[in-house]
Amino acid sequence: MSVQPQPPISGAAGLTPRQLTHRLRQMLAIREFERLGEQCFRDGLIRGYYHSYAGQEAVGVGFLNALDLSRDYVVDHYRDHGHCLLLGLDPEQIFAELFGRATGVSKGKGGSMHMYSPERHFLGGDGIVGGGLSVACGVGLALKRRANDPICVCFFGDGALDTGTFHESMNLASLWSVPTLYVCINNLYSMGTRVEDHSSLSQLVDRAQGYGVKTEQVDGQDVFATTAAAERIYQYMRQTKRPYFVEALTYRYQGHGIHDKALNYRTEQEEAQWHSRDPIQLLAAHLITEKILSAQQIEDLRQQIVAELQAKVERAKQAPQPDDAELKQDVLA
Amino acid sequence: MLLTYVDAIRQALAEEMRRDPAVFLLGEDIGIYGGAFKATAGLVDEFGPLRVVDTPLAESAIVGAAIGAAYTGMRPVVEMQFMDFIACCFNQITNFAAKSHYRWGAPVPMVIRGPVGGGVHGGPFHSQNPEMYFAHTPGLKVVEPATARDAYGLLKSAIRDNNPVLFLEHKYLYRRVKDEIAEDGPATPLGLAAVARPGRDLSVITYGAMVHLAVETAAALAAEGIDAEVLDLRTLAPLDRAGIVATAKKTNKVLILHEDTRTGGIAGEITAILQEEAFDDLDAPILRLTSADTPVPFSPPLEAAFLPSAEGLKAALRRLARY
Ligand SMILES: Cc1ncc(C[n+]2csc(CCOP(=O)(O)OP(=O)(O)O)c2C)c(N)n1
Ligand SMILES: [Mg+2]
Repeated sequence: MSVQPQPPISGAAGLTPRQLTHRLRQMLAIREFERLGEQCFRDGLIRGYYHSYAGQEAVGVGFLNALDLSRDYVVDHYRDHGHCLLLGLDPEQIFAELFGRATGVSKGKGGSMHMYSPERHFLGGDGIVGGGLSVACGVGLALKRRANDPICVCFFGDGALDTGTFHESMNLASLWSVPTLYVCINNLYSMGTRVEDHSSLSQLVDRAQGYGVKTEQVDGQDVFATTAAAERIYQYMRQTKRPYFVEALTYRYQGHGIHDKALNYRTEQEEAQWHSRDPIQLLAAHLITEKILSAQQIEDLRQQIVAELQAKVERAKQAPQPDDAELKQDVLA
Repeated sequence: MLLTYVDAIRQALAEEMRRDPAVFLLGEDIGIYGGAFKATAGLVDEFGPLRVVDTPLAESAIVGAAIGAAYTGMRPVVEMQFMDFIACCFNQITNFAAKSHYRWGAPVPMVIRGPVGGGVHGGPFHSQNPEMYFAHTPGLKVVEPATARDAYGLLKSAIRDNNPVLFLEHKYLYRRVKDEIAEDGPATPLGLAAVARPGRDLSVITYGAMVHLAVETAAALAAEGIDAEVLDLRTLAPLDRAGIVATAKKTNKVLILHEDTRTGGIAGEITAILQEEAFDDLDAPILRLTSADTPVPFSPPLEAAFLPSAEGLKAALRRLARY
């Protein structure tokens, strides 16, 4: 991987060299997972829809690493593969779900948008935009009654802000005072509609403030910024049991989904601008400057990750298809 | 012009917009993006952003706004990106749109159109068939074309209709079926079924993508000496009772086929109509073949098990023929 000089980012956020390397590894794993996943789609192993998280890695890495999964919970939207990896779901089981196999995290019944892992406190990706926002209120409500100050983090896109559920949920979260963090991943587009064309206010944080919820904007390309924000906000929430709203500014590299190829709603210039502040390259540049890793070591790491993920794909390919009897299982609890 | 099902929809939209300045479109990503399935591709270039309105992701407000525009002389056509999301505007449709005329005498000339159905591995929230929530609700019309020609002609009628019409497009058919369609061709009346294949021995009553399964299966069974008639309902509300009764009286044996799930599907309603109006003409119990009473699973083999199959239909029709 070639590392170009980058505009500076915000410093190491108190992370040790080991922790920094771990975060680089996580971001590379997401990027390469999505690359492989899209290849599997083109090869016909994955059917239906596929929404890539590539470009947005620093958001998930910052906000999920700072969580304590022994007590905290996560509610997600449909662009969920990256978050699953960060929460420690086995990539083999994620691929198996994408392939619709019996060993997938949702037994093949959910697919790409509907990953789920109660063990990892992951309350699901969800194909209905905005659906998770009110659910996260209820999770916060339940968690607030537990003794060890747990919190809930809810991810969604800029598009979800336009749903009625967003407003109902902000009001409820504030009224009930629940420890739920709403992370709006503002990648500038709701599918093919630019944020200026779908949001009445260009500063998305302004749309939450009216409910008396604390808000802030964070540079979603900068893993130090997301890490520092997460740690500070989580501490505040554990103490106050109040909701919080973050707008993380970032960009999705791929189309909305794998079928969105024309990308006629955005310019190559804009894409290039965002690629020039790639979250992985920014962290890599820092690690090189600080002599924590060399460019060669980073490239070796990337290749090692690709090899590991490829092995997972191969194993997931061998996973059994569900039998027909599975169809009627699980309709009721 | 030889048009696919989705092209036929675009053609009907464009012609109706040219014909009547009150017609306008609103929906998510329908402008420059052209809609998730490209049903509105290019229309913003011809009609501009005031008539092809890109909306925020807000189904309830979109439908509510369309109702208000319809009250005041416009003819809005709303695109639901996937019909599964119509659950988000259930109140606006079933309370406001459906009951405006009965409550107030206020017509709501509005169309809500968009893709339904499975077979493309969309998983639980991108594959559903929500027709019966709405066919159950007095005050709404519910239409689902099976062919490109009907997609074109029925959409024209839906736009000209003074009632709220749910126009369900089967996404499996968007690019798989084509018809020769004349420019500025006729509108096809709502509320009338069509015989998709005439036959003497038994009737398959169906709609949407299942019409094609029925016609293909009927062709295969002809070699076994079973001559099946296929009735394409085309409109689910109001149902063409006369057309349903006529085919039953002709063949005396009926199977109802639908992709919607079983319980509360239209098959139950049609069965009741036949009991009421054609009981003495039936030589066999009424059979039904439907999707299973489960959510739509993502996994392709499970989805195949969920949906009605050609094999299942053949077996059921052979059984029916033996009576
Ligand atoms: C209720 C609902 N309406 C519409 C859609 C179709 N849809 C899926 S994602 C999307 C855009 C959402 O954009 P955003 O929330 O910004 O998330 P991003 O794709 O950028 O991650 C749309 C319109 C949906 N899934 N659910
Ligand atoms: Mg977005």
